[in-house]
Amino acid sequence: MKKILIANRGEIAVRIIRACREMGLSPVAVYSECDRAAPHVRAADEAYPIGPSAPRDSYLRADKLVDAARRSGADAVHPGYGFLAENAAFAAAVRDAGLTFIGPTPEAIALMGSKTAARAAAQRAGVPVVPGTAAPLAATAAESDLVRTADGIGYPLLVKAVSGGGGKGMRTVAGPDDLSAAVAAARSEAGTAFGDAAVYLERQLVRPRHVEVQLLGDDHGTIVPFVERECSIQRRHQKLVEESPSLAVSPALRRAMTSAAAAVARTVGYTSAGTIEFLLDGDGRFYFLEMNTRLQVEHPVTEMVTGLDLVRWQIRIARGERLDIDPDAALAPAGHAIECRVYAEDPDNNFLPSPGRINQLRAPAGPGIRDESGTGAGLDVPIYYDPLISKLVAWAEDRPQAIARLRRALGEYLVTGIHTTLPFLGWLLAQPDFAAGRFHTTYLDDVLKTRSGRPFGEPGREVEEVAIIGAAIQASLARGGADDAPGTALRPADRWKTQARLGALRKGGRVGRGTRW
Amino acid sequence: MHYEVEVNGRPRQVDVTRTADGFAVVVDGRRRQVDVARIDANTLSLLIDGAAAAGGDRPGRDGRCASHEVAISRPAASGGPLTVFVGTAPVVVTLDGGRRRQAALGHRAAIGSDAALRVIAPMPGKVIRVLVAAGDAVRLRQPLVVVEAMKMENELRAGRDGHVAAIHVREGVSVDAGTLLIELK
Repeated sequence: MKKILIANRGEIAVRIIRACREMGLSPVAVYSECDRAAPHVRAADEAYPIGPSAPRDSYLRADKLVDAARRSGADAVHPGYGFLAENAAFAAAVRDAGLTFIGPTPEAIALMGSKTAARAAAQRAGVPVVPGTAAPLAATAAESDLVRTADGIGYPLLVKAVSGGGGKGMRTVAGPDDLSAAVAAARSEAGTAFGDAAVYLERQLVRPRHVEVQLLGDDHGTIVPFVERECSIQRRHQKLVEESPSLAVSPALRRAMTSAAAAVARTVGYTSAGTIEFLLDGDGRFYFLEMNTRLQVEHPVTEMVTGLDLVRWQIRIARGERLDIDPDAALAPAGHAIECRVYAEDPDNNFLPSPGRINQLRAPAGPGIRDESGTGAGLDVPIYYDPLISKLVAWAEDRPQAIARLRRALGEYLVTGIHTTLPFLGWLLAQPDFAAGRFHTTYLDDVLKTRSGRPFGEPGREVEEVAIIGAAIQASLARGGADDAPGTALRPADRWKTQARLGALRKGGRVGRGTRW
Repeated sequence: MHYEVEVNGRPRQVDVTRTADGFAVVVDGRRRQVDVARIDANTLSLLIDGAAAAGGDRPGRDGRCASHEVAISRPAASGGPLTVFVGTAPVVVTLDGGRRRQAALGHRAAIGSDAALRVIAPMPGKVIRVLVAAGDAVRLRQPLVVVEAMKMENELRAGRDGHVAAIHVREGVSVDAGTLLIELK
């Protein structure tokens, strides 16, 4: 394997390009019309246009992606996450073109892509599933049959899309009266979003946590599960903050959950990186929820506490190499890691998307900080894709220090020109409930519902004062013009400083940004 | 230089004067000495004296000198409010010029009442659900319509209490940014 085509964009494409570079492999990018100047295009060795900006015309076009791979002479394709990453037909098309798909087999993707088939696989592996229907509901089922089925499961329950994900095609049902309307709504939403209107019923657990197990499988039958990730901080079923390890998981529970995850993966002969998602109730009982047959957005927190590079391992596994990771080390976290997702959304306006031009972007750095970004100053956040700007990850010796580091880093993160969720994340990490680990999958939705309309980053009096002073000075400088080149203090230059400055220039010193005289 | 500045609905009076040491800035009668270094076209480093001496030509120095970096983000259309980032905290600031321009165009009064009555698509997308019917009574912040964009379903809410006067879209249609979706009365 010498050249890898990355069938994706944004931060994950940049992440995969970095792994390619470190392995001496040549990365190939693809781009839609609006992504010509995107970081992943500029970072790659080669880049090929694949069509108009709308995903269905570019990043979802398996034919164009395979064609670009052929033109470039790539011998493998990495799908990233989202787009076609969990599309069995795409994985098969790559394989049929004589290329290596860096991910699981099309058969494993297809099997675990059906929620009901995945639940059956978990049960075969002896892993408990949330009580629910074994098969999709018959499209012709009478209302009386639906009610009888639901009574057997118990309320409250969820109607979920068989081919679903990301909270779409999902409805909560409190009692029998709401059932048939919820089933109809979920069917219509699922049909539009996934091209499959099939739905099933599942009991809704009371205030569960979302805890998931990352694993790797090779072509030689080895499965290695990793220390869990805690992903209960969600807004409308979308994860916003992820961490590892989970405060709610004891070493004994970790052994039980990771063994269960490995058993499910073994049952389906899983290879490459994948994640088994569980719901964990207040009594320490866990239930299989679903399997994600791809690299996940939140994979960096696992990398930070294990020291392993999961993308590198995906590539090594695709080359047929053997997993030689110490299974005990994979379950023993070193320190604590927390990731938060920075989105181009306005948290003070119901999290509406805030696309547009980023004027300035200054990412945090320093001890324990990792910024996984796929955009930059002067670039547009396009309207066509997920508005993720960056994943900001903090690692530290323990959880309190990791929170302190992440809060420090959020305070360094400057993005101007568009709204971002940075003020919201700063607020969230300051909540006593977050610090104490008192949360569950609907914690955030509950808190946001009861919150007053006050802005998340409400400035204090002194901050307002400084803003006024800054705006007024900037305005007066714009009118006055004159001696305000970058890197200069704005006051009459005295002779001594002028001489020092000229001296520095003569010595070849640079007079750059931030220079003070 | 004199400015009328508005932050958080409060009008403030600001005077800026160049001095031998930098700038003297008086905000609502409180004078502060500011040392300024330009970092780039939109970014200034400010060192602000903490002391506010009453009267006198020069501000008193209490030895405390606060360091702030401010980044000023201009609106796409000139004349609108600025967003001033103090460190990374955004503060919306309207300079008098901007306000006068808006007033001259007669927009200012209109924005207050009219904007709350018109529900407009903030971005291109697809109308997924219309949650109200013409004639319905609605409350402030009540969800009215769901528009899917950027892979997310976005609820657009009522800007005030009222009644639904007209619905201009139906479920399933694609809309451009700025499209009028629903009118209230």
